Amino acid sequence: MNNLNLILAGVFSTVAASFGGLLLAGHAQLGALGRAPAEEGGPLFPALEPGLAIQGRQVYLQLGCVACHTQQVRPAGQGSDIAQGWGVRPSVARDYVLQSQVALGNRRVGPDLANYGARAKSDAEIAAHLSAPAAGSAMPAFPTLFNQGKDGSLQPNERGTALIAYLKSLRQDYSSPEAKLKQ
Amino acid sequence: MSQENQQSRPQGQGRPQGRPADTGSPRISRVDASVASPVKFFFASALLWLLVSSVLAVITAVKLHLPSFLNSCEYLTFGRLDAIQRNVFFYGWASNALIGLNLWLLASLGRFEFRNGWIATLGGLIWNLALTVGIATVLIDSQNAFELLELPRGVALAFFVAFLLAALWPAVAFVRRPTGQVFVSQWYILGASFVLPVVYLLTQLMVLWCPTNGVLQALVHSWFLQNFLLLWLGASALAAVYYFLPKELETTLTGYYLSTVGFWTLFLFAGWTGPATLLGSPVPLWIQSTGVVAAVLLFIPLTITSINFFGTLSRDSGWSRAWNNTTLRFVVFGLVAYTLALALQILFSARSLNAIIRFTSFAAGQQQLLTYAFVSMVIFGAAYYILPRLTGAFWPSAKLVHLHFWSCALAVVGSVAGSLFFGWTQGAALAAAKPFAQTMHPQEALLSSACAVLFLIGHVAFALNALGMLTTCSSSTDEARQA
Ligand code: HEC
Repeated sequence: MNNLNLILAGVFSTVAASFGGLLLAGHAQLGALGRAPAEEGGPLFPALEPGLAIQGRQVYLQLGCVACHTQQVRPAGQGSDIAQGWGVRPSVARDYVLQSQVALGNRRVGPDLANYGARAKSDAEIAAHLSAPAAGSAMPAFPTLFNQGKDGSLQPNERGTALIAYLKSLRQDYSSPEAKLKQ
Repeated sequence: MSQENQQSRPQGQGRPQGRPADTGSPRISRVDASVASPVKFFFASALLWLLVSSVLAVITAVKLHLPSFLNSCEYLTFGRLDAIQRNVFFYGWASNALIGLNLWLLASLGRFEFRNGWIATLGGLIWNLALTVGIATVLIDSQNAFELLELPRGVALAFFVAFLLAALWPAVAFVRRPTGQVFVSQWYILGASFVLPVVYLLTQLMVLWCPTNGVLQALVHSWFLQNFLLLWLGASALAAVYYFLPKELETTLTGYYLSTVGFWTLFLFAGWTGPATLLGSPVPLWIQSTGVVAAVLLFIPLTITSINFFGTLSRDSGWSRAWNNTTLRFVVFGLVAYTLALALQILFSARSLNAIIRFTSFAAGQQQLLTYAFVSMVIFGAAYYILPRLTGAFWPSAKLVHLHFWSCALAVVGSVAGSLFFGWTQGAALAAAKPFAQTMHPQEALLSSACAVLFLIGHVAFALNALGMLTTCSSSTDEARQA
């Protein structure tokens, strides 16, 4: 095998094959996916994100929360994500169509956050977690997201407020055409 | 590969390369002299980044059990440092070193004097500057949510140009040299140097410049990552193994004729294995299954490289001769790791097994097995062989060579074994529906911190030795060149 052009052409075809077979084919299937109602005439899902949540996503990316948190719930046969209470149904591609950059993540040092908005109790609880995670947790505190209030308590600043809004907006608890919720 | 019996090798060949320089300096061949300055540049940059990455790895490992460690300032938060450490390791250490190693291998195999070496060095300068800017951005501004694509997209463009100058252009130039034959190491280098820029550019376009719809980004990313790990890092390191093993054992490869098949099947299948890392993710099932099939097919190139390498090692007391040769000790360590890493990848692309280990540290262990225990160890072995030939000096201290090998070998065995073990036990506990908080093992973070310190010790030993050689002997290089 001494022919340089043959090697280059061969390597090029192998790259082109996987590119076409996986990415272009995937694009043909999902490239135009958009919001849709679960039933005819119903509301469109996923819901539009509030502007504050969009800013909050930037904070989430900035601080690298994705290093420890995923945002994807696997179906019941594939891991115990639903049994862990991280979601009420598996994530589907349509859940992510509004996100400019998806943060599916690859490593769970902490719990999955795909449906965190549905289980978060209050802003104050989220703020308390971000400013002072439970003792013994691997999660670091994020003091720069807070200001000291007059009474000495910590109040989320602009970025903190946006991040909290973002975390609350993380919901996958609606029916979609691909994943209906059981009544 | 009997072609590389180069007459002009320094006399240090075949001896323990840690031997102090009491027998005078080895000579530098004209071929080596022609690539010396870019290769030295890449190795020196790689070395500096390796030290940075090892220090960062200690910090991030400690942070996992003491989250308040260095946490007063937002720039030092875990999420930022973790991304920086990864990028420094992959783009700073591994890629710089492999660009340099590939350049040297091409020159030696082709016995071709490299003209315009400054173009490669220029590429290297751009590469390292872009990396520095990218790291600064992650540190003080923002990052992308995809492993190894965290750096801003402008940096990626600079990487692309730099890589063309430093790696792809030399590879094509070398293989186009006047004498005809192309050897197996050269196929791998050529393939690797072609795949990386193409895949990297397409990925950047589809993820960062004109982002595709939703989860398709994750699909593109998985495609990129598998190409990067197997066809850039993996194939480049394999090229070095195909060179050093027969050369240092002074023999021919068992089943050399099979290596063509090994090469083509690796390049054919590895690019499709990305979705096998997305099992259970919200991407179409048929795409996930395609990935699994491709991962299983990696069995073919794995079998062939095993026949080639382990067959060769089992003849004529190859194992013990390899163990007593500094370069081969590292290279063979890497080979065993490669075999294990690929075997694990095949095995754990089975859906039921993957469901248990996905998202745990098991996957991190698998990645470290491939990128450290294989790729980095092979680079170390190669450096022990190449640097004396470029500087005209011997390694100053044999003790430091031993310290380097043993601390890195122990560290990587401990760290990989820990990740695999704790990842598996955590996954099994989660599968049994134990609450998440009760499945974490504090011992894991302790073990990985200890290993990170051990890595740092090994790398400092290596750096001291290498810097000693690079600095003291730059003058003898010129004399030797004239000789
Ligand atoms: C070093 C890894 C790490 C990083 C980085 C990290 N987390 Fe966490 N996170 C954890 C761990 C571990 C837990 C579970 C223990 C706990 O509740 O404290 C957790 C829990 C959480 C929870 C509660 C989840 C639940 O189900 O109750 C939220 C919300 C959260 N993290 C948000 C964030 C955000 C936002 C960021 C980025 C600003 C972030 N985390 C960064 C490790 C991390």
